Amino acid sequence: MPAVLTVDPRSGVPIYLQIVEQVKRSVALGVLRAGEQLPTVKQLAIDLTVNPNTVARAYRELEREAVIETATGRGSFVRTDEVESSPRVAVEIGRDAVELALREAKAVGLDRDEVRAIFEAALERWFSELPKGDSQ
Amino acid sequence: MSSIKISNLRKIYGSTPAVDGLSLEVQSASVFGLLGPNGAGKTTTFKCMLGLARPSSGEILYDGKPLTPQSFERIAYVPERNVLYEWLTVDEHVEMNRRAYKAFDPARARELLSQFGVDHRKRASALSKGMRTAVMVACAFARNAEILVLDEPTSGLDPVNQRHVLSLIINEAAKGNSVIFSSHQIGQVERAAETIAIVDRGKVILSGLVDDLKADRKIVEGIFPDVGFSLDGIANDPRVSRVDRTERIVRLLVTAGADEIASRLSASGATGIRVLDLNLEDIFLYAVSPVTATTDIVTKEQSS
Amino acid sequence: MTYIEWLRIRNCLKVLAIILVILVGLAVVLRISVARYMSPAQWVHHISRDPGTHESSVTLPDGTKRMILDNPGERMHVIIDDHGSAGTHIEVTEPSSRAHKENNNVSVGSVHVVESRHGTMTTTIIDTNGAVPMLYYMAIADVFALIVATILAAPLAREINGHLEMTLTKPISRLRYALGAIGVDVVGILAASVMTVAAFYLCQLLFETPRLDFSGVNTRAILMGIASPLAWYAMLCAATTWMPRAYGALLGLIPLGLLFVGLLTLVPTSNVVALFIHDVAWVISRFDPLTYVSVASPNSEGTMDYSGANFGFRISMEALFFVAYGALALWRWQRVEA
Repeated sequence: MPAVLTVDPRSGVPIYLQIVEQVKRSVALGVLRAGEQLPTVKQLAIDLTVNPNTVARAYRELEREAVIETATGRGSFVRTDEVESSPRVAVEIGRDAVELALREAKAVGLDRDEVRAIFEAALERWFSELPKGDSQ
Repeated sequence: MSSIKISNLRKIYGSTPAVDGLSLEVQSASVFGLLGPNGAGKTTTFKCMLGLARPSSGEILYDGKPLTPQSFERIAYVPERNVLYEWLTVDEHVEMNRRAYKAFDPARARELLSQFGVDHRKRASALSKGMRTAVMVACAFARNAEILVLDEPTSGLDPVNQRHVLSLIINEAAKGNSVIFSSHQIGQVERAAETIAIVDRGKVILSGLVDDLKADRKIVEGIFPDVGFSLDGIANDPRVSRVDRTERIVRLLVTAGADEIASRLSASGATGIRVLDLNLEDIFLYAVSPVTATTDIVTKEQSS
Repeated sequence: MTYIEWLRIRNCLKVLAIILVILVGLAVVLRISVARYMSPAQWVHHISRDPGTHESSVTLPDGTKRMILDNPGERMHVIIDDHGSAGTHIEVTEPSSRAHKENNNVSVGSVHVVESRHGTMTTTIIDTNGAVPMLYYMAIADVFALIVATILAAPLAREINGHLEMTLTKPISRLRYALGAIGVDVVGILAASVMTVAAFYLCQLLFETPRLDFSGVNTRAILMGIASPLAWYAMLCAATTWMPRAYGALLGLIPLGLLFVGLLTLVPTSNVVALFIHDVAWVISRFDPLTYVSVASPNSEGTMDYSGANFGFRISMEALFFVAYGALALWRWQRVEA
């Protein structure tokens, strides 16, 4: 598995959640393909230098969210049965990001119309059709 | 059946209790981190656990049974202070371990020693502090022990070797053994331990899974429009364990339900509501810090 | 488990071995310097082969076999008296040469050599006294064993001083560990005695074949020589286990202190103060194993009685000390905390 997983133990986000988020992100980006095998709990724990039970918890959570499936004796694999699993995960990640942004915007006192204006401007910037030029 | 179960441990030296009603449980195949300020009673707890000091009261069980000399075939210990024999070489220490413990693997010990960069021919008196720790750690991890009790196992080690010790600890848990270790390096504990206990003045003041503590404990911050606001309703919520007020800014340390309390705070007129994550160091500092006089703080009993 | 203790006694006995080797070496040097006085038999043979030697033998009335060798050409006259088990007496008269020192008097074990120069002639008298009482060997061995016992005597204190985290986390009970360490030390002390006796026997062997006398007072000497260092060891073991931090000082000061107390018991009790000092010192010395080391005791006539009266009492006291002091040390050890 490509080494896109990093964890920051100093972050306030629990390590197992960080692993869950990063696996989901990898699936959404297609870095982890359907049916691909994940490292064993033990191996990932050693690679990341984190507690194996924390990794196990992350895998359990991923299984609960139907992102991976574990076959006893064989290992853990990205699920293949839901064709839309990649886009589904992407939607979840997108939703979390937008919710966070809106919460912040509300917290600093913006109202609905102000937020909408900012939102539309950002959409223009990030999602406008080419060939106007990749304004990234 | 937990690997280690300490129930209501008390140890009194003279008239001062070094450990005053401490209880904790270490499960099998897990890593338990013990945190606490200096003098909190961590080392005394370890000594009582290993029969080096006699508890004044309380019970310590290993897999349900009390400690016997034979237990030490399965328990490995790294003490906090230097206990090497100054006049012996590292090799002689390895040999001593080999003769004392049936399951000791001298080849593994030598391998670990070279990984730590210890010259096995040197006398203990010629070793630096970090090297001495490395010798003790190497001999302990070569024991194939089911339970490891480590008191500051990274003290004096350079960052590379510290990371190496952490990997060894994680490896033990992956192999199915139990580890309890104390450290002042909270970052290390954050990585390696899945359960921690914070000890202060001889008692456990907070314990739980690291991931759960981080997920549940948050700071809910809000700014009130004027100084004379009332927080009574919210402050009495059992999930709010600490209230820090500075003029118009309020910070609530919550042990659960951060989002709900954030809404209530918003409803009572605060703006700029933020929910802040806490890492283990933050949690630790909040747990052990006393009430200060610089801000108008009301601290309530921790419901841990 | 007692690996550490084995290493300790190994180091100690190594030093002792070096000292004994040096002693044997000195004996070899001495032997060479008196090499002119070979064993009587060799010598007789050597002189007899000289054609100018006139040899005659006679048996004296008391049973002594006397052999006279006379060599007028060399101006040498030798008388050899063989007293059987009482030894041999040889008198040599010969012209002085460079090898003769001015009046020499040397004793090594049972061989006694006196050289005296009279003008141009030198007379040398060699006496071999026959049997060697073990008493003499044991006296020296006892001293060495006591020194080794003092050096080894703090096995538990050394552990208490900073190694308990290692010692008490071994899969062996505290008591068994302590008994093991003490057992190893006992072996070391006995080995020291044996090594010393062997070394001195070797020294004597260079000069003649010693006939050892084990009877009577010598048996008692052997028993006392074994028991007293062990009792002494046990006493120091107890003292250091109770005050482990000062064990080095204790191992140095207790022997000196007890020596001083022993001297105080000899204070003439001329006045009340002296009597008090004497009595206090006497009481303290009752707890010192070395007070009981003697194979002789003064009897009612004021002379020394070597018959072994009171020996039973003394040797029992040594055994009692070993057990009691040992128990004291173990009791403390069982309760010590890291």
